[in-house]
Amino acid sequence: MLEINNQYTAMKRRIDTEVLKLYFAGELESGLDSLPFKIIPKDRTPNRCCIYKERAIVRYRIMALLGIDIERNDDEMKPLSQYAKEVMEEDPPVLPLLTTISTGCYGCPPDQYRISDACRGCFARPCMANCPKDAIVFINGQAHINEERCIRCGKCMDVCPFHAVVHIPVPCEEACPVGAVKKNEKGVVEIDHKNCISCGRCARSCPFGAIAERSGLFPVLKMLGNGDKVTAMIAPAIEGQFPGTLAQIKASLLKIGFDKVVEVAEGAAVTTEHEAEEVVRRKANGEGYMTTSCCSAYMELVDKHLGFLDERYSRAFSPMIYTAKLCKEADPDHKTVFIGPCLAKRVEAARRGGVDGVITFSELAAIFMAKGIDVREEEAADLGDTSSFDYCRKFALSHGVADCVLSRVEDPASIRVMPINGVDKKTFRLMKSWEKRAPDVDLVEVMCCEGGCIDGPGTIVKPAVAMKLRGGAKAASPVASVKSPL
Amino acid sequence: MKKEKVQVKICVGTACFVQGGSDLLLYNDFVDPAVIAQCEIEGCSCLEACKVNGEGAPYVTINGEVHAKVTQEEFARLLSEAVKNA
Repeated sequence: MLEINNQYTAMKRRIDTEVLKLYFAGELESGLDSLPFKIIPKDRTPNRCCIYKERAIVRYRIMALLGIDIERNDDEMKPLSQYAKEVMEEDPPVLPLLTTISTGCYGCPPDQYRISDACRGCFARPCMANCPKDAIVFINGQAHINEERCIRCGKCMDVCPFHAVVHIPVPCEEACPVGAVKKNEKGVVEIDHKNCISCGRCARSCPFGAIAERSGLFPVLKMLGNGDKVTAMIAPAIEGQFPGTLAQIKASLLKIGFDKVVEVAEGAAVTTEHEAEEVVRRKANGEGYMTTSCCSAYMELVDKHLGFLDERYSRAFSPMIYTAKLCKEADPDHKTVFIGPCLAKRVEAARRGGVDGVITFSELAAIFMAKGIDVREEEAADLGDTSSFDYCRKFALSHGVADCVLSRVEDPASIRVMPINGVDKKTFRLMKSWEKRAPDVDLVEVMCCEGGCIDGPGTIVKPAVAMKLRGGAKAASPVASVKSPL
Repeated sequence: MKKEKVQVKICVGTACFVQGGSDLLLYNDFVDPAVIAQCEIEGCSCLEACKVNGEGAPYVTINGEVHAKVTQEEFARLLSEAVKNA
């Protein structure tokens, strides 16, 4: 997957912010058509083939931000302002979550191993000796791979002493754990929505930005704009994503128009109690392993690919759902918006209901930037009494959910835990094997993103930075040698 | 006489932080410790530079001089240069 800070994310943030600036200025419909020209001016040195293509892709990014399904509803003759008008009148459907920008797709050549000029045609020739399919031949004293025989096992790459073998993957296909991203007969990316689990890995790995998530931002902006009472439910991963403490983040959210801010850790405490009770009960009854159920992409994975786990995942709802219930009990007239690092949560919210909107941290950042709100300068808001659930802020980290559950079990040493830290092709294969051979543990904690939610597709900073800033007042003075923390 | 330390300020305003400035906070991982020892590194509030030019984030000042679009590599280079010239 791509590093989080790259030119594409920078461009995405810029586009999001510029669109929101127009929206808040009340100039969305009048200003949107000229925005691609403003962002990609004539004198720019293009990163793609030309500025015209760059403008076209900016247009598609804006459409994705508006929530348009580009695969199905792309009318090149229709101005952006018209799309915006329609979106303001009626929310587009949430699913499918991901959409492709086919003109942005480079059409990468198929996954392959190649031998570069660094090959010295050595005497030992370990590549040839270790190739299980005899696919390596020597021509003019250099190794070559016979494409027809090669099964792309990568053994030659592992054994070459000169590192002369390179693996050239198709990033989106390689990133998808379930093989739902494929290139069509034209060589252009296509998502098989029947199999897609909405984890967002493909969108994060395409260096050309050809896969986009359809944002749910505008339905939320409309709620905030037309005077609805709205409660923001902030995921535990939010701490460390902004240069400020949780209390300052809360203050910033109140400033942009939310009426109330609730931590999803509160719902996570309910999930924890349920799972703790359940895992002990299952163990006592000799029912075998139980998996967690808080990761929405994992629930999609079970639904679409691992049906045998239906019996295995905890019956507890996710922290988002419990938190939404708590919010509706406290303020029945409030709408609820989940703010998190996750794309799949939008799918969960659409399927389960009870949550009125879902946006990501990076979309929230765009709101802050468009409104000129500096989290670090905000007066800390009162977080209230968090003592009953603050231990559940760990839900955002791999091992964190299991830690919380164990802390609520009478005899934690008796519960054997196995974390699935990130669902990729390999761990997916491992999980498939459980159908025949159950893992010898009591609790399996599944996190689709490696490291946990703090490395989700909607995050802003690297997990290492987030970890540095998490916990208490650390974020108030993000640099070690700060002399006078604010 | 003791050498003056190089004064480094990393903007931790939201706009800079979100657009790559957060990476610079990991300076212990990518800047030579000998260089860091010669610097006084601080976080600072928005330098207002981004309001003039929307494309320059993240900003860093070194001995009062403002630098735009500072990446990790650039940061390491600027710091060792400043230390050398101090």
